[in-house]
Amino acid sequence: MPTMTLTQTLVMGLIQIVAVLVLIFVMVPLLTFAERKVIGYVQVRLGATRTAGGHRGLTGALNRGMWAMGKVPVLSILRGLPVFIADILKLILKEDIIPEKADRAVFTLAPILSVMAAFGVFSAIAFYPGVLFTFPAGFPIVGGLPFMGFISDVNVSLLYIIGLASVGVYGIVLGAWASNSKYPLLGGLRSAAQIVSYEVPLTLSLLVPVVLSGSLNFREMSLRLGTGEGMSWLATFPLMAGFLIYTTCGFAETNRTPFDLPEAENELVAGFHTEYSGMKFGFFYLAEYTNMIVVSTFASGFFLGGYHFLPFGLQRFIPATVPFFGQPSLIFFFGKVFFILFTYLWVRATLPRYRYDQLMDVGWKYLIPLTLVNLFVAAMIRFAY
Amino acid sequence: MRGYAPILLLVLIAAFLPVLVWTLSRLLRPRFPNATKYSAYECGITATSEAREKFSVRYYLVAVMFLVFDVETVFLMPWAIQMKELAVFGIIEMGIFLFLLLFGYGYIWSKGALTWE
Repeated sequence: MPTMTLTQTLVMGLIQIVAVLVLIFVMVPLLTFAERKVIGYVQVRLGATRTAGGHRGLTGALNRGMWAMGKVPVLSILRGLPVFIADILKLILKEDIIPEKADRAVFTLAPILSVMAAFGVFSAIAFYPGVLFTFPAGFPIVGGLPFMGFISDVNVSLLYIIGLASVGVYGIVLGAWASNSKYPLLGGLRSAAQIVSYEVPLTLSLLVPVVLSGSLNFREMSLRLGTGEGMSWLATFPLMAGFLIYTTCGFAETNRTPFDLPEAENELVAGFHTEYSGMKFGFFYLAEYTNMIVVSTFASGFFLGGYHFLPFGLQRFIPATVPFFGQPSLIFFFGKVFFILFTYLWVRATLPRYRYDQLMDVGWKYLIPLTLVNLFVAAMIRFAY
Repeated sequence: MRGYAPILLLVLIAAFLPVLVWTLSRLLRPRFPNATKYSAYECGITATSEAREKFSVRYYLVAVMFLVFDVETVFLMPWAIQMKELAVFGIIEMGIFLFLLLFGYGYIWSKGALTWE
């Protein structure tokens, strides 16, 4: 890699940041749409179908033909897609209400903190271990430089990620406190206690990949755990257990079903963001869905083999000479990310909500001992090998 | 240290983004102030008392326990990377550390601090 001047580093960083922001702003609306559709189909209904698409043109003719034959058109999966545009427009055009009693500065700061924590994490995630493409030599400022699959390759990226991700809880607590209203305060306290409780097993379960790979760098960990080189074949088992524990904690961290206690709408209205409206609520929403993507990239990178085809370090059975499946690829990484995101929706459509005492029990009494045992097993395997 | 420049850039952009969007949406959104609209939400009735009242001490307890366990994971991190090099010494050292911690864990469990009523 050629050495870069500071300007080049910053411009290159800016280009990659724009790419990641585009990725987020494409994935989050699609995820909200997918949520409606997936849950709809799980519950044997069609989900959102009313907005545009599938009425005119070729797809429209096909759809009408299928309806005429008395069949639900396959293409109707994409009907209702423009709903997310309507969602965004609605959020932007809504009146922005700050309650009279609220602490205005903190009330505004809270969504910023949430978004900052959710987005900032992406700078240390490696979507691809190497060069995606090289800018042509004639390109201004960054000509001839490679476009890497990650924004920054610092050697303690995991620590940075865990640290920044925990800032997200401040957004929730401060937003709840600043609203100066009863439901948000109660919801915010619950959220904070829940997130904080599950943060411990989450970090402990992430220690298993750290122990097995001996690195804190996302790219290196992902590569080593993916190829399984330098690891005993036994390492597959703690990775599998770690994956289950990690996903459970990840669901709780992002306040998703079956751990969506903060949004227990029959008890607490909407939890910590009850008093928020318009785009201020919109950014909390954006942060929540971005966090889902972050959790999925972690599960994909550390447990499901990252850029390689087979999960849990089983890639060792496919030699690197095999054309497609033996090589690291962006497709495998994002395939796994989408699989976990789908699991989020699948679980939401399937499982009921936990009670609060059950939630705390699972976090403190089961997951922490389990993760410690898992970490011990992983350490023994690493030590013996 | 150069690697941290893009990270800082992204965090700054992420912090600036909501401000930008709010400023732009100010041009589009309506604004009709109304005393009832700006009062705190309480199921449609007038708010009876201050929201910032006393709340259960358990939340503080959870926060304190979290602090202890989070510091523990921070201590485990360097050992986790260096465990091959530290070998037996590291294992014994971590064993003592974890034993002390688990002793405390058992204590708070037996005291009922982990049970939520």
